[in-house]
Amino acid sequence: MLTVKENLKEVMTGGNPDRFVKQYEFLEMIMSVPSGRIKPQIGGEVINEWGITIRWPEGQLASFPVHDEQHVVLKDVTEWKEYVKAPSMERPAGAWDQAIADAKAVDRDNKYVAAFIAPGLFEMTHYLMGMENALMSFYEEPEAMHELIDYLTEYELDYAKALVENLHPDAILHHDDWGSQISTFLSPAMFEEFFLESYKKIYGFYKANGVELIVHHSDSYAATLVPYMIEMGIDIWQGVMTTNDIPKMIKEYGGQITFMGGVHSGVIDHPEWTKEQIDAEFDRACRESGKLYFIPGACQGLPVSSFPGVYEACDEAIEKMTKELF
Amino acid sequence: MSKIQEVKEKVEIGKTKLVPGLVQEALDEGSSAADILQAMVDSMGVVGEKFSSGEIFVPEMLIAAKAMAKGVDVLRPLLAGDTSNSLGTCIIGTVAGDLHDIGKNLVSMMIESAGFTMVDLGVDVPAERFVEAIKENENVTLVACSGLLTTTMPALKEAVQTIKASGLDVKVIVGGAPVTPEYAAEIGADGFAPDAGSAAVKAKEMVA
Repeated sequence: MLTVKENLKEVMTGGNPDRFVKQYEFLEMIMSVPSGRIKPQIGGEVINEWGITIRWPEGQLASFPVHDEQHVVLKDVTEWKEYVKAPSMERPAGAWDQAIADAKAVDRDNKYVAAFIAPGLFEMTHYLMGMENALMSFYEEPEAMHELIDYLTEYELDYAKALVENLHPDAILHHDDWGSQISTFLSPAMFEEFFLESYKKIYGFYKANGVELIVHHSDSYAATLVPYMIEMGIDIWQGVMTTNDIPKMIKEYGGQITFMGGVHSGVIDHPEWTKEQIDAEFDRACRESGKLYFIPGACQGLPVSSFPGVYEACDEAIEKMTKELF
Repeated sequence: MSKIQEVKEKVEIGKTKLVPGLVQEALDEGSSAADILQAMVDSMGVVGEKFSSGEIFVPEMLIAAKAMAKGVDVLRPLLAGDTSNSLGTCIIGTVAGDLHDIGKNLVSMMIESAGFTMVDLGVDVPAERFVEAIKENENVTLVACSGLLTTTMPALKEAVQTIKASGLDVKVIVGGAPVTPEYAAEIGADGFAPDAGSAAVKAKEMVA
């Protein structure tokens, strides 16, 4: 039997895996990293490290940035230098100790020590000024948007340096949602113009500094961006929704990138979830997409589920499909 | 090219800085405010179609809607009291327990561009609030309810059924990622649209 890492590599290289990869089993997420991220508890509100007000109302599955007139950080993108101040990378002595200890405890022959990075460059633009303003600014103030994205890129690179110096991760899981369920937010041409070079710098830096695996999360439609994903160095696109034609993408790009997802969290991860529904969804996903260049999983951006038991039930459903198809 | 034609073209490609001046020039040329408004409504119809077909994306739709809004600002003093172009008032909101507003805002913009007067109740709107808003506003012809989460589908159902049970004479259109035409019909909605462009087309059909 192949190890978790060996099996993943067989999937990614079009070799001979002996089973389906079970969701995030190959990543050991080191969540004790002193990321500096300030997040609200459920029912709470915080001003985060960028000055963005983030609210997590009771009963919601996630937190939201607040963009009314009173709270929005960046009211005029041409004045971004005045309003956008990157958080300090300074950390108190010993801040990295726990993360370093957690990384040391990982069996690196079997799993990848992984760092979590969010939100990404695109998400930061709309966290700072609201979605509508951000999207219109790509047209109306392209120079300012380029400058702002360059600034955010420099921050990401500073953070990347701290990560590789202290943690030496083997993998990163980087979030940046680039679309809705049915479309990308930007046209492919606009995406290329504003984001390709920045991500080539960021992911290139990680690759040049010991990171073997770049996992990018975008639980959206993004099939038209796959050529750019490959160019920027993404190894695994996680969160692939079924609104993308996954079998077609595997045929076209398999060998250059691996697709992780195929099951919508919204469909299976709800208060009335059932094992039968989860089994049926993974049966469909595994049969449709096959054994190579595909990792079955819910589209959730971390190895968790919103409702207790769902993540584990997904793993069990994948094991069933391994028994049937391998 | 006539100025009105130029207005139409520039709205379609979102030239927010040029449209107000062109609208003024079209008026100076002798075009009526109503005709210019109709030309811009037609442009947004094209924009909606292109969005639905994937030819353009959200930024293009947003700047086109903004360009039209700038043009309407020029026309507003001339259109005051003239309701011949209005399709009535549309109440819009995201249902209780759901805080997603981006899709709802896009739909609002497109329905407004089609000729409705919009009243946006925001997000996390209780079912009864929709009914109150119908009573509080004049000439409400349409209510648009949005829901993005599978967990808030029961709230969408409650909103539609509460509006229908009120006996008020309005049509209800629903939309959002988990909503299907079948589900819309099942909960008693009069219409469904899968995206903002189609929502504008459907809204017009529903009140015709």
